[in-house]
Amino acid sequence: MAAIQSSPYSKTESYVDNKRKDDIRMANINAARSVADAVRTSLGPKGMDKMISTASGEVIITNDGATILNKMEVLQPAAKFLVELSKSQDIVAGDGTTTVVVIAGALLKQCQTLLSAGVHPTVISEALHKVSLKSIDVLTAMSVPVELSDRESLIKSASTSLNSKVVSQYSSLLAPLAVDAVLNVVDPVKPDLVDLRDVKIVKKLGGTVDDTELVKGLVFDKKVSHASGRLTRVENAKIGVIQFQISPPKTDIEQSIVVSDYTQMDRILKEERNYILGMIKKIKATGCNVLLIQKSILRDAVTELSLHYLAKAKILVVKDVERDEIEFITKTLNCLPIANIEHFRAEKLGFADLVEEVSLGERKIVKITGIKEMGRTTTVLVRGSNQLVLDEAERSLHDALCVVRCLVNKKFLIAGGGAPEIELSRQLGAWAKVLQGMEGYCVKSFAEALEVIPYTLAENAGLNPILIVTELRNRHAQGEINAGINVRKGQITNILEENVVQPLLVSTSAISLATECVRMILKIDDIVTVR
Amino acid sequence: MAIGNPDILGDRQSGQDVRTQNVMACQAVGNIVKTSLGPVGLDKMLVDDIGDVTITNDGATILKMLEVEHPAAKVLVELAELQDREVGDGTTSVVIIAAELLKRANDLVRNKIHPTSIISGYRLAMREACKYIEEKLAVKVEKLGKDSLVNCAKTSMSSKLISGDSDFFANLVVEAVQACKMTNARGEIKYPIKGINILKAHGKSAKDSYLLKGYALNTGRAAQGMPMRVAPARIACLDFNLQKTKMQMGVQVLVSDPRELEKIRQREADMTKERIEKLLKAGANVVLTTKGIDDMALKYFVEAGAIAVRRVRKEDLRHVAKATGATAVSTFADMEGDETFDSSFLGHADEVVEERIADDDVVMIKGTKNSSAVSLILRGANDYMLDEMDRALHDALCIVKRTLESNTVVAGGGAVEAALSVYLEYLATTLGSREQLAIAEFAESLLIIPKVLSVNAAKDATELVAKLRAYHHTAQTKADKKHLSSMGLDLVKGSVRNNLEAGVIEPAMSKVKILQFATEAAITILRIDDMIKLVKDESQDGQD
Repeated sequence: MAAIQSSPYSKTESYVDNKRKDDIRMANINAARSVADAVRTSLGPKGMDKMISTASGEVIITNDGATILNKMEVLQPAAKFLVELSKSQDIVAGDGTTTVVVIAGALLKQCQTLLSAGVHPTVISEALHKVSLKSIDVLTAMSVPVELSDRESLIKSASTSLNSKVVSQYSSLLAPLAVDAVLNVVDPVKPDLVDLRDVKIVKKLGGTVDDTELVKGLVFDKKVSHASGRLTRVENAKIGVIQFQISPPKTDIEQSIVVSDYTQMDRILKEERNYILGMIKKIKATGCNVLLIQKSILRDAVTELSLHYLAKAKILVVKDVERDEIEFITKTLNCLPIANIEHFRAEKLGFADLVEEVSLGERKIVKITGIKEMGRTTTVLVRGSNQLVLDEAERSLHDALCVVRCLVNKKFLIAGGGAPEIELSRQLGAWAKVLQGMEGYCVKSFAEALEVIPYTLAENAGLNPILIVTELRNRHAQGEINAGINVRKGQITNILEENVVQPLLVSTSAISLATECVRMILKIDDIVTVR
Repeated sequence: MAIGNPDILGDRQSGQDVRTQNVMACQAVGNIVKTSLGPVGLDKMLVDDIGDVTITNDGATILKMLEVEHPAAKVLVELAELQDREVGDGTTSVVIIAAELLKRANDLVRNKIHPTSIISGYRLAMREACKYIEEKLAVKVEKLGKDSLVNCAKTSMSSKLISGDSDFFANLVVEAVQACKMTNARGEIKYPIKGINILKAHGKSAKDSYLLKGYALNTGRAAQGMPMRVAPARIACLDFNLQKTKMQMGVQVLVSDPRELEKIRQREADMTKERIEKLLKAGANVVLTTKGIDDMALKYFVEAGAIAVRRVRKEDLRHVAKATGATAVSTFADMEGDETFDSSFLGHADEVVEERIADDDVVMIKGTKNSSAVSLILRGANDYMLDEMDRALHDALCIVKRTLESNTVVAGGGAVEAALSVYLEYLATTLGSREQLAIAEFAESLLIIPKVLSVNAAKDATELVAKLRAYHHTAQTKADKKHLSSMGLDLVKGSVRNNLEAGVIEPAMSKVKILQFATEAAITILRIDDMIKLVKDESQDGQD
């Protein structure tokens, strides 16, 4: 709406109308709120999915706030803030992307009321800043420390994250998988750092999500390249990762080989064979029996001829390995990439018990297992009956991995199910009474805004939101700080006992990011479109 | 100020509207294939934009050709494809069940039952149903004897064009599948039905189709001078050109002496000649290549009395190589850098003959050494019929393969659906939770199969289904009446009979997959409450 009102005559206008400043702010807030409203229904374990059909005709079914907003192509500039907001939550915490947008929406709504009551935007902004600092204190006080050795708790928080997804019925399978995957890659030297790039997710269509598995080793979504004599299984593999090509060298464009005698023709053909043969003999001499060849744009990585020789030398070949995968592969195999045939030496090889081509349904993958001195990496093979489910399973698994990563970074857990939000709301409400002046007034209304999370959770689960939130408030006033909405039973229980837990980082970053974003929107008082 | 939709490039719909719309779209897809279910289902004629006509009764084929645009309906189309890939048959059933599940779920939502309760109810019902099939309804193949395979094939074919000759074709199919039985490295027995070569030839009636022991290549000999028959055959499988050798890119031939030119030409030809000599010296008398052979080179084969076949399809070559024990060779190069051809690369077969089938010359490879290869030669009045026969046989082949691999069968003709419906209804009443209604609806939805079956057969659906349910109820409540659990519909007579005895059977795995896939798809669609449709790129560029 805002865009429609302002854009048609704003381009060359020189006349400045002060009334517009308020309008712009309101329009921005409205646009942002409408975005928040759009994702509201997908919050929580009983949230619904969105179907997005993109411009290219691709269909996405998802429940992940960040993905929805990302694909929605919002036009209004202020609304784009919220899209960005959910993205940054995705980067920081990986989960709670819907929550952060919903909170921002609720805060904006309160701002609107405050603005119309005549509070100056800067005052509201200041108050928000204080709220955010205070909230983090409150949340930290509520949290429970967790040890990485406590696998149960980690699984609990991963399943909380998975419960709201399309694949929720598989959470008992995926949650332990996510925990194991992350714990596998934690480096004991730097226990606080987890690089999720060390967890590779390979998607493969076919089967059901039940067939998803954690592979201690490597999985390639490719077939073994073979010319003849199909070698599909190698035990006690010595694996070489090469970045050069086993094919005849090409002459530069301007150069050409001149043949003036028929005997030379034979020589050219023979030279080619000998050239390749020489390379393969060198490779074979090191004992290598599995080759992973990086994809090459300039030349064919392998030709029919070299494949033929490789097959004769009983070397299994996987070609077209992506360049960005090389690092992951070498880390996993604990070997070095080889950039030139001259450097092909035995000490650069990786070792594995088994390299095998496995057929899954109609398609095939290559699996490397039993790697010796394996690096700290993990591969997860995700299966799904159709592309939509498969993609969603990958996104959900990513969220679960992020949740575990958050716990590794900041080893505190907090209750889920709306408990922290309602507690925040209560404590902030009390704090507001101590504050003086306008700020107290603002803080009070923000305290109310935070009730939106339990309210929405209840609404999405088909419960009576007002009833639930009132009771929840009551319980918290009586000191049950861990009381939350148990969506499955449709009542209020001690949510910690129900194993609905999430990492502290998710909640704190949601609050701080949401407040920062709202403050930014508040400070804008004009939109100038430049062409 | 009211909060409207966010400004996005496209439409957004949410809430009940979307659900109803999605369900309607799926309903429409379901209705299209509905009339083609069952032995008396009718066919569809599909005309595509270039005017090609397809006449079929196969759910997956119909939906694939429809080019459905609605995203939710696409889910159903994918569902049929998935069923086709995983099982090969039952594509129509899976779509109809999914559409019915959705319709009933939508009614429940309208009656203020939250979609999440329906979803968990459906999931529970599906799990129970699959368990029930495996524990109670499935019958081991051994119990029924070898006829069961033929019966499975017959049931699958009964709904297709060739149902009239199903006895004949069922035997053909079973024989074909059993012929290609093989055991892999891990000792598992596999039936690679891809290895069954189906050839279509115009003319004669469908009944004149036959099974050929041996692999048929749909091409003739390369030259007329070659012998028609070679026995015993030693086969070389090549994957490269037997043409005049060309220098690769970047090599220029520059000659100053005209005599040199001639020599170079000669050399080019000689290289090929040398290769052919190597082949012949190794003992090959049949040469198959996926690429071309020069006319000049053919002469050498003719002289040696060998058959050469060019432009063989790569898949065919692979199958021939597998069956005869040959190694497909992509180059002659050996580890010394020279060119040699070892006789161990050769495959063996009793004989290789060129035969005439209808108007086509076909090279037959018979009595292969390693595994037996079979070819099905289909005859028929026209192309459409042949294509449809091909599809029907594909389904039947898949079904026989699944039966052999899973080893359990269930009675067809709506028996399983009716039994499950009765069982689930009972199960629903034992549950006190919110899922009860959803499970009851799931039970009710399954009845759509017997209903549609009888409607398509122009029988009284209500009466038949009622009778069927009565039988199954007795079967499940009275211990001594267990055998009644395989009662199904006899659609020709319009009565209820024991389908297990009548030989209307399907692999249990097919039914289980149908239920699993249909439920998954229905749930995927049910969970959607918002649809965002973005405008195609070209309409607006740059918003401000």
